[in-house]
Amino acid sequence: MGNNLAEELLSTVRSVVGPEVPDMDIIRALHMAKNDPTAAINIILDTPPSVPTPKPKPQTPNPKLKPVKELGQEKLITAERKNRSREVDASCRESNVGQDAAVSGPDGNEWWFVGTGEVPALSTCKGRRVKAGDEVTIKFPSKSKSLSSPAKAKGFGKGRQVVAACSEIVRFSAGDGGEIGRIPTEWARCLLPLVRDEKVRITGCCKCDYDRLALMDTVLLSIRVYINSAMFRKRHKTSLKEAISSSEETVVHPLPNLFRLLALTPFKKAEFTPADLNTKKRPLNSKDGSGFPASLLHANLCKNLKKNGDEVETEETISDADLDKIIGVGSSSELEEMDAPRTLQCELRPYQKQALHWMIQLERGNCMDDAATTLHPCWESYHLADERGLVVYLNVFSGDATIEFPSTLQMARGGILADAMGLGKTIMTIALLLTNSERGGSRLQTGSHCSSEGTECDISNQLSSPLNKGSKYSGFDMFKKKKMLVSGCNLIICPMTLLSQWKAEIETHSQPGSLSVYVHYGQSRAKDANVLAQNDVVITTYGVLQSEFSDENAEENRGLFSVHWSRVVLDEAHTIKSLKSQSSTAAAALVADRRWCLTGTPIQNKLEDIYSLLRFLKVEPWESWAWWNKLVQKPFEEGDERGLKLVQSILRPIMLRRTKSSTDREGRPILVLPPADSRVIYCELSEAERDFYDALFKKSKVKFDKFVEQGRILHNYASILELLLRLRQCCDHPFLVMSRGDTQEYSDLSKLAKRFVKDEGEAKDMPPRAFVQEVMEELQKGEQSECPICLEACEDAVLTPCAHRLCRECLLGSWRPATSGLCPVCRKSITRQDLITAPSDSRFQVDIEKNWVESSKVTVLLKELENLRSSGSKSILFSQWTAFLDLLQIPLSRNNISFLRLDGTLNQQQRERIIKQFSEDDSIQVLLMSLKAGGVGINLTAASNAFVMDPWWNPAVEEQAVMRIHRIGQTKPVRIMRFIVKGTVEERMEAVQARKQRMISGALTDEEVRTARIEELKMLFT
Amino acid sequence: MANNTNLPRRIIKETQRLLSEPAPGISASPSEDNMRYFNVMILGPTQSPYEGGVFKLELFLPEEYPMAAPKVRFLTKIYHPNIDKLGRICLDILKDKWSPALQIRTVLLSIQALLSAPNPDDPLSENIAKHWKTNEAEAVETAKEWTRLYASGA
Repeated sequence: MGNNLAEELLSTVRSVVGPEVPDMDIIRALHMAKNDPTAAINIILDTPPSVPTPKPKPQTPNPKLKPVKELGQEKLITAERKNRSREVDASCRESNVGQDAAVSGPDGNEWWFVGTGEVPALSTCKGRRVKAGDEVTIKFPSKSKSLSSPAKAKGFGKGRQVVAACSEIVRFSAGDGGEIGRIPTEWARCLLPLVRDEKVRITGCCKCDYDRLALMDTVLLSIRVYINSAMFRKRHKTSLKEAISSSEETVVHPLPNLFRLLALTPFKKAEFTPADLNTKKRPLNSKDGSGFPASLLHANLCKNLKKNGDEVETEETISDADLDKIIGVGSSSELEEMDAPRTLQCELRPYQKQALHWMIQLERGNCMDDAATTLHPCWESYHLADERGLVVYLNVFSGDATIEFPSTLQMARGGILADAMGLGKTIMTIALLLTNSERGGSRLQTGSHCSSEGTECDISNQLSSPLNKGSKYSGFDMFKKKKMLVSGCNLIICPMTLLSQWKAEIETHSQPGSLSVYVHYGQSRAKDANVLAQNDVVITTYGVLQSEFSDENAEENRGLFSVHWSRVVLDEAHTIKSLKSQSSTAAAALVADRRWCLTGTPIQNKLEDIYSLLRFLKVEPWESWAWWNKLVQKPFEEGDERGLKLVQSILRPIMLRRTKSSTDREGRPILVLPPADSRVIYCELSEAERDFYDALFKKSKVKFDKFVEQGRILHNYASILELLLRLRQCCDHPFLVMSRGDTQEYSDLSKLAKRFVKDEGEAKDMPPRAFVQEVMEELQKGEQSECPICLEACEDAVLTPCAHRLCRECLLGSWRPATSGLCPVCRKSITRQDLITAPSDSRFQVDIEKNWVESSKVTVLLKELENLRSSGSKSILFSQWTAFLDLLQIPLSRNNISFLRLDGTLNQQQRERIIKQFSEDDSIQVLLMSLKAGGVGINLTAASNAFVMDPWWNPAVEEQAVMRIHRIGQTKPVRIMRFIVKGTVEERMEAVQARKQRMISGALTDEEVRTARIEELKMLFT
Repeated sequence: MANNTNLPRRIIKETQRLLSEPAPGISASPSEDNMRYFNVMILGPTQSPYEGGVFKLELFLPEEYPMAAPKVRFLTKIYHPNIDKLGRICLDILKDKWSPALQIRTVLLSIQALLSAPNPDDPLSENIAKHWKTNEAEAVETAKEWTRLYASGA
């Protein structure tokens, strides 16, 4: 303080803040402001004084004087407006309206007068005198500063917060006298972002006379707010993808706040507001929580991990029962029935007729006739004070504003048909397609641009011309696109495996000619939107959806995205559950009037699964992650039951879920299926198997422990999964552990030959074509070649780039180090990566036929199958490993059990043939099926037994597979048998199953999840 | 014989084939007491200085075989620029160019070929090579002479 500079700064600051402020405070402030006197002054003024504020001077008796508490956390901005010096009273306003309205920006934007407000500002000066009507200059923090700090100050540390806050304070001054005071935080907070974006302008003047202002006195200002007409246009210029990806992070929006502060009252209030959610719809009633599925809550918390495997019995995947609790099965039995249209060529069951009625109702909306003229419940309408009588609509949830009427037509029309598997969701949907296409009138004109202005309100009219639709949706995300969208009918998106089933079901169940179906799939699929629009039903896959969405180049031909669909149906809608996945974003980006989700498992394992569906359905405001997260996700995760209650209230109107045990009005089950008996068959390893398993386990555990020791479990996740995979396979059959790796890639011989021929031109030392051909022929014939090193038939043969075949082990053994070396035959220099696993019939390193031994699991299976043989009932064997299916073929053949096989290598036609043959040929007892290939949709009711040979991480997948046989059409009692080998990783998996699934799909960020995963992995290795 | 019980299958297979389908002009038979030790006889190739000679060799398969080359040595004295007086052979495949895809048979065939085509540019025996290069006719004569002297009888 001894130095001159400090003295000088001190006196500068003191001259502004006045003598009352102690030296120490000024010095501290200067220090915090890094000796910037201006910043220091702000700090002092923004900080509650450490000494009592001097009493307000008696000259300014102000009844409204009140202490001001806010310390800003405002947004920052700059803008400076010169304002009129006019006392704000009614007459004065009148005289100025014309002038105000004429205010035009340089860009030709108009400024519309919104209204006036009274701002209780806070004096930061001493002894100044202001008069009513004095114009004030409102000064926003400079932009350069605002850029350097993030929009939200919430992350700031304590010290920095003060400094940052300084630049967020909106000050005002009058005349040449310098700063008078600042605008209260409440106002500043909503004005800042709006002024920054040039959405709003304000002018202000003093409202009362003040003779001598004291620090902290209240200065009443009158401000006038203008809104930029451009705001309503700019809003919609965001491109399709931006609009989708920008997940709003805040639930507080400035414009609605500003309207509230201006005391503007909507002449039409929103029927549904954030306040509803905060108060009346979220009663915290402990009684109501009795049905709360604790396991689900637990699943999301994953805090109370128990290390002891035996204790972790809580099933964490959402069980059907839990699902029912979350979303409620409820009052579906009271639904009205609706007869299917004549074009549907099968009889609907009563509960299916109910679904049809329900779906039609939802598509129609509550008040179909005036849907177009009824205000959307999430929007409010305001009259602006502007004399032109302008009306502005505000979305109370998103803060969006528009001047175009937001009608209920924009509301979600559609919902989630979440009937349990096997109740015939497909047929109900087909009934819906048929019902509505009838209503649409002459379908001949479908897709043509016939004008139907007259039927604008008829939402079920599929013929609406693009123009017509555009007008319904203008002002929204379609604003920009409406011109290029072609009007289309129905789009069905399903997993690839179900493509042909959908087509087949539509064709068999609808009257010929009533619906034209186009399968939009494969390389040769139509690029022209008109082709898509011409058909009544377009069926495609999530894969196609995703690729057309991400295809940046095809601006003109965005395929599915260049059509305005009348209806989009997502089959197996849980496919989009991961909200960040491409298919999820893509689905949400589709333009459609009506949206449906079909899924038997709306929640697979997380509550968020629902969110993606809501986003697709455009259920406001829940398509905004911010609201979902604030009111549902967070409370739910924190154990607040209101989160769950809210989910229920969101879902109740838009979701229909019946299970096989649902009952009708008379209390009878809606669907009578033969009983299903599910049991676990525990097997014991034989002594030899046990030795093998233990050895493998020991080896794996050593590796695992090493990862644990290094603390690198999660970095070696893939390796650990590989270790686990081997252990799991060992439980099926030890041979699986000896199966070969990459033979698939070149399983197609012509592809392999091409590889050699292709390279031939480039390198001279390539093998002669004749030799390659010879090798290929040998491979083709499946001839065994002799390894030139061990002189035995090649085991696990590899092909060198020079087309020589050797045992992998022999070849690698001849190299030091084993990563590269010379071809032993021709001395060409090669590396390990060059080697190609030679295709062969067997993917096992050992000759499985010759050395065949039954594993204990296989022995038990064979016994079961033998028992079933006499009954004539058919069985499906599910495994996740096609290699195990390979193995199973041996004992099945040897025991004269005839079988068929269905796995991922088959194309659609082959699959259908297999399923048909299995269903019709009585002599075939068994269908071998890979769990993934047969997961969804396929109808296999010809079988009444399902054997799940190995546990999968996610039991929901297992269940889905098994439900292929326990569904409509099943006449025999169903038996489901799951194999678990005792005392192995399989048994551990039973406990960890669900948690594991979340682990794989979850992000790595959360420390808790990390620990959880590590614990789980450790559990598997105990 | 104890050594022979864990003889690699490759050696057994090679031996069987050598015995059942011997290469022309070559015979190789394993020793009674050590199956890794072979008694080899190579007939001097026709139209070479060694024609009419019967050359005895010994061949030993080391422990690392086939990852390491067999050890081969002429027992019969021979006048050849690539074979020294101890019978050691200068042949690349027996050294750095060994490949596990080579076999006893191919090794012996290579040696037979070496007799047909001496290579004085890569000599093992300096003197003989010099002789070969300066006066090939005389060197060939010496070789024939030696063949008569040392390799004529069994």
